[in-house]
Amino acid sequence: MTATYRIIVCDGTSCLNSGARTLTTVLKAQLDKHGLTDKTTVSLSGCLGMCDKGPIVVVNPGYTLYGSLTEGDIPEIVEEHLVKGKPIARLAIQEDHLYNRFFRVFGDAKFFGHQMRVTLRNCGIIDPESIDDYLSLRGYEALAKAVTDMTPQQVVAEVEKSGLRGRGGAGFPTGTKWKFTAAQVGTPKYVICNADEGDPGAFMDRSAIEGDPHTIVEGMAIGGYAVGSSKGIVYIRAEYPLAIRRITKAIEDARAHGLLGENILGSDFSFDMEIRLGAGAFVCGEETALIHSIEGARGMPRPRPPYPSVQGLFGRPTLINNVETWANVPVIVLDGANWFRTVGTETSKGTKVFALAGKVVNTGLIEVPMGTTLRQIIYDVGGGIPGGKAFKAVQTGGPSGGCLPEQYLDTPIDYDSLAKAGSIMGSGGMIVIDEDSCMVDIAKFFLEFTQNESCGKCTPCREGTKRMLEILTRITEGKGQAGDIDKLERLGKMIQKASLCGLGQSAPNPVLSTIKNFRAEYEEHIHDKRCRARVCENLVTYEITEKCVGCGACRKVCPVTAIAGGPKKQHVIDQDKCIKCGQCFKTCKFEAIAKV
Amino acid sequence: MPTPLELIKKKRAEAVSRIIGKGYLSTKRVYVGMATCEIAAGSKDVMEVFRKAVSLGLTDVYLSQKGCAGRCNLEPTVEVIEAGKSPIKYGKVDTTRAQEIIERHLKKGEVIQEWVID
Ligand SMILES: Cc1cc2nc3c(=O)[nH]c(=O)nc-3n(C[C@H](O)[C@H](O)[C@H](O)COP(=O)(O)O)c2cc1C
Ligand code: SF4
Ligand code: SF4
Ligand code: FES
Ligand code: FES
Repeated sequence: MTATYRIIVCDGTSCLNSGARTLTTVLKAQLDKHGLTDKTTVSLSGCLGMCDKGPIVVVNPGYTLYGSLTEGDIPEIVEEHLVKGKPIARLAIQEDHLYNRFFRVFGDAKFFGHQMRVTLRNCGIIDPESIDDYLSLRGYEALAKAVTDMTPQQVVAEVEKSGLRGRGGAGFPTGTKWKFTAAQVGTPKYVICNADEGDPGAFMDRSAIEGDPHTIVEGMAIGGYAVGSSKGIVYIRAEYPLAIRRITKAIEDARAHGLLGENILGSDFSFDMEIRLGAGAFVCGEETALIHSIEGARGMPRPRPPYPSVQGLFGRPTLINNVETWANVPVIVLDGANWFRTVGTETSKGTKVFALAGKVVNTGLIEVPMGTTLRQIIYDVGGGIPGGKAFKAVQTGGPSGGCLPEQYLDTPIDYDSLAKAGSIMGSGGMIVIDEDSCMVDIAKFFLEFTQNESCGKCTPCREGTKRMLEILTRITEGKGQAGDIDKLERLGKMIQKASLCGLGQSAPNPVLSTIKNFRAEYEEHIHDKRCRARVCENLVTYEITEKCVGCGACRKVCPVTAIAGGPKKQHVIDQDKCIKCGQCFKTCKFEAIAKV
Repeated sequence: MPTPLELIKKKRAEAVSRIIGKGYLSTKRVYVGMATCEIAAGSKDVMEVFRKAVSLGLTDVYLSQKGCAGRCNLEPTVEVIEAGKSPIKYGKVDTTRAQEIIERHLKKGEVIQEWVID
């Protein structure tokens, strides 16, 4: 049976401090008293972004928000609203923030309740190909507000005050970047959206554009107004045909409505946009390489300074931000920097989108306030590790990031805490790793990626990563030598220091962080020739156990006839002959072959 | 001359009335996930099932596509939203489930609990 009422109690830090737990207790008792327990679900949510009005209780259906509650208000809510069906106007709070649209539809489901969707506020609730849908949810109002009520300097100041930091990886303060670009004299200036999204497995930016392309258009137009540019370019990877189609349509529709082009909404501000397709090299996401690529040159980074804000596209001042960074802009303008600053931690404001993947029950695209702990993400949102397996590590930051073990689970995540723990925020990859994965193998996977993607300009990056990969490969093959760990560390630190761009500077991170946090696994591989996760083929021994029924299936598939045994007798593997191909393991229907 | 802010409010009002003209105030609104991820999981066929039902006379339903809500392992997802009721979110909707959602939920108002994302 569907519950008649679905109640959400905010379980964010601020509401907890103002007594949310007591409210829940009283609420449950009241529901019991009125015999409503079976007809009502009570769930907890993460911060709802209205901390000044806490504690907060949401009653669905209807999405009635009750705020500044005390214990004494609860019986009234239960009697009047739930029993008699009359919402209580006196306690209800009205708010018209941009961000919580999504919560109205999805907030009562566990996976979504602990999230806060600021940049993904419209993803999943509107038709992305309809400008009418976007307009109906206060779309382009932030742009209109900026050109009507704010000077460009005020827009820059608002973004600066918000504390927004770049979501493309480096976390550079967005307002500072805008201020630099705005301070440059002369035209033209350019505004770029970096939608190259090259991290393996990342799909945050793709989903954002596919679900709500107008937000990016609006954000960039506001950026153009703020820094004095009339030309925007979306650099998007060619492998994203649907995202390309939708953002192209959004640009055309906006133009048709006078929201792009000459004299936007009758103002003095003119701004138009175009799309450029990226060929898909990882390094082309680096801002100077991206600019070279738009200019028609090879996508190779160049030293900075000069920064793009001073000397960017065609030598002109250029403001370049990531998709998610842009998506925050309309919210900051409309809901205000003061509101934005209430979300997040001291040094990192707002929310962050993550692609939650790996060994977790609920995989998906999530957005949570900065300061949410890894444990909350993995267990409350992600639903924990499937199959009763033990948590081993979480990888953040993709190929430039690192792996954090259990002791970091309660770290409230932001740019600085992740860096301090030895990983990075990056663009939002988050892979949960359980006991079945080998940390050396994971480090090798990421290094293979960066090694392959190195543009080759700097010797440390090009050759150094190759050497590191050779060492990792031999370790996983059981040929590791004493001193290999030191060699990896020395090489890694040298590459970090001597590479020109972020690719090289961060390529060793996955290796260095796994050495730091999982050194014992490296040592076991090297000295004991053992892989505890039984992933590294060469370090695994196959043995036939007493579960063997003597069916002979393994004997038939073994390519080197290493298996001996007669019908209905336990078979045996000749370890000297075995080439560890794993065929017998896959073939046996009785789970009689063990990896040890 | 109206200010840009006044103009955008007028545009919003116009957009809202166009959406209403398309049937937004129908008793039930149905949203089908149509992002790369959803489509890869088969949502195009699911959308087709709903479209066909509407063209064959299913009334009082407003059908729309939507981007992805990020529920990767439960795609394709479909929401049924009805004024005064909690929004229902279905997961792993294939064409068979879509057909049943039409028959049971859209036509008879029965929420099919076991497919609901909770
Ligand atoms: C190898 C490499 C790849 C990068 N790839 C991306 C990318 O795909 N998307 C992105 O937004 N930023 C990427 N960056 C970061 C950009 O150089 C730049 O910092 C960013 O676009 C600035 O925007 P933000 O301040 O909004 O983050 C990459 C950097 C490096 C070194
Ligand atoms: S660090 Fe690597 S990817 Fe970056 S410029 Fe140097 S060689 Fe190219
Ligand atoms: S692992 Fe391969 S080579 Fe070794 S016993 Fe099994 S089938 Fe034969
Ligand atoms: S903690 Fe409840 S609204 Fe922020
Ligand atoms: S990315 Fe769309 S739901 Fe997973």
